[in-house]
Amino acid sequence: MISIDDVKYIAKLAKLKFTDEEAEKMSKDFEGILEHFKSIDKFDLSAVDLNKYKDGLESVIRKDEVEVYEDKGKLFQNAKTKRETYVEVPKIIE
Amino acid sequence: MEIQAMTAFEIKKGIEEGKFTSEEIVKMLFERIKEVDPKVEAYITLCEEEAIKSAKIVDEKVKKGEKLGKFAGVPIAIKDNICTDGVKTTCASKILEDFIPPYDATVIKKLKEEDAIIIGKVNMDEFAMGSSTENSAFLKTKNPWDLQRVPGGSSGGSAAVVAAGIAPVSLGSDTGGSIRQPAAFCGVVGLKPTYGVVSRFGLVAFASSLDQIGPFGKTVEDCAMLLEVIAGEDKMDSTSVKEKYDTDYLSVLDGSVKGLKIGVPKEFFGKGLNEEIKASMESVMEKLREMGAEVEETSMPITEEGLSSYYIISSAEASSNLDRYDGIRYGYRAKDYESVDELMEKTRTEGFGKEVKRRIMLGTYALCSGYYDAYYNRAQKLRKEIKREFEETFEKYDLILSPTSPVLPFLSGEKSENPMEMYLADIYTVNINLAGVPAISLPCGFSKDGLPIGLQIIGPHFGEKKILKAAYALEQELKVDTLAIK
Repeated sequence: MISIDDVKYIAKLAKLKFTDEEAEKMSKDFEGILEHFKSIDKFDLSAVDLNKYKDGLESVIRKDEVEVYEDKGKLFQNAKTKRETYVEVPKIIE
Repeated sequence: MEIQAMTAFEIKKGIEEGKFTSEEIVKMLFERIKEVDPKVEAYITLCEEEAIKSAKIVDEKVKKGEKLGKFAGVPIAIKDNICTDGVKTTCASKILEDFIPPYDATVIKKLKEEDAIIIGKVNMDEFAMGSSTENSAFLKTKNPWDLQRVPGGSSGGSAAVVAAGIAPVSLGSDTGGSIRQPAAFCGVVGLKPTYGVVSRFGLVAFASSLDQIGPFGKTVEDCAMLLEVIAGEDKMDSTSVKEKYDTDYLSVLDGSVKGLKIGVPKEFFGKGLNEEIKASMESVMEKLREMGAEVEETSMPITEEGLSSYYIISSAEASSNLDRYDGIRYGYRAKDYESVDELMEKTRTEGFGKEVKRRIMLGTYALCSGYYDAYYNRAQKLRKEIKREFEETFEKYDLILSPTSPVLPFLSGEKSENPMEMYLADIYTVNINLAGVPAISLPCGFSKDGLPIGLQIIGPHFGEKKILKAAYALEQELKVDTLAIK
């Protein structure tokens, strides 16, 4: 059972906002979906170790070498409000 | 021959041999797009000017006798979640409605190096979440075989353009079946490579441990040709595989399945499978036996719960990947807000569609403290078991056969109210993404109402050559029509 308050809490974490109506619909949708998910309890997974890997697996690393990126302006071509080389946003701290 | 019937292979050969120029091909294609796309509604963005410019460059190369790329002069459509430098990339979402990437995805870079011509960006389910392309914020793409029906999803646009003859080939992406299911619905060939074979750099991430880019074509040969260009290690994607594996996919298309051992898991033929699809599969199995392959029933019990594992993992990863859409550096930004928090909340609430929000919520919930072990951890353990089950099955069999979809292409609006019903359409495709193995969807016939039916051939990790070889042989035998709009 996912209550409307639960939905609003999760929404806050996800930076989303729902009306009471939408939250109610979502809680019903969730119920149906989570009911279906119960099926993963069918199997005994106690012996499965997620930290055990096949032999020979290595982390992928690379040298920390500096490359100059020429076209910096291009990177910020999509920002809605710019001020010189800054992206302008509302006040964060009063 | 008319442009809609031509394959990428034929176009390349014709340009090489001087039968026609790339400019002629591109102009013919745009003529046809203007005529047919209004009915199908697949293209979000068209790049006519750029395409003709690129075509002229290829024609110059041909004239001067210079070395031509593997895809020289061939037009290709690109799913709108793959970044194209200077060309709007929206992921069919309002939140990226005006986003212009400052770089090319690796697959785009590779295509350009091989002289391919990018025709335009095609429609999809928003952020690749969906199985019908109905979740797009912009267009309602139709199935070219029946305009009242959906083309499948999420790469519905990519499949539809090939079936409608308004692109010879296209690129899509597959996270839980998003290449294979629309390929089946639109009666064309679509392949999801082994996880790690194609670079994800520049593919807008949905679920990073499941996403792969792959080819669509009217023929197996075209898919093999396209896969040869886009496959390969990429230092920009640390999940792209570094081991050496062969990418000469065109070399194995010789038409033989003699001696091949094919397993057919009974779990993929359970209740819920449409009777006509079942009958079509049974006739294909007979055909394969006639062709000299051994086809027998096997069992993969753990795959029955793959759907739950998939939706938990993919939603969890999506909730994390879609965190970045906050209106600050790019994309849609809400208008009235007081604080940064309100800016982000309003932007996301207004910019994301219903299904995207649903999955973000599901994923956030699954990762919440208190629920992490019950859902995400368990789903990952189940996934490890599913992968093991595939590996064990491939010790006994060369390939696995199944239907691609349990249902025929459905009517627009038919499944959009009930999310669980829509999710069940992926039941035969999600396990493949969880295990990271490759699979192809090949058209194998039509229902009595003329709707396409697709079969799925699954291979072991890095078994693309095995899959393509068998698919090509079957394709030559079945000779299924793959052009919906003549």
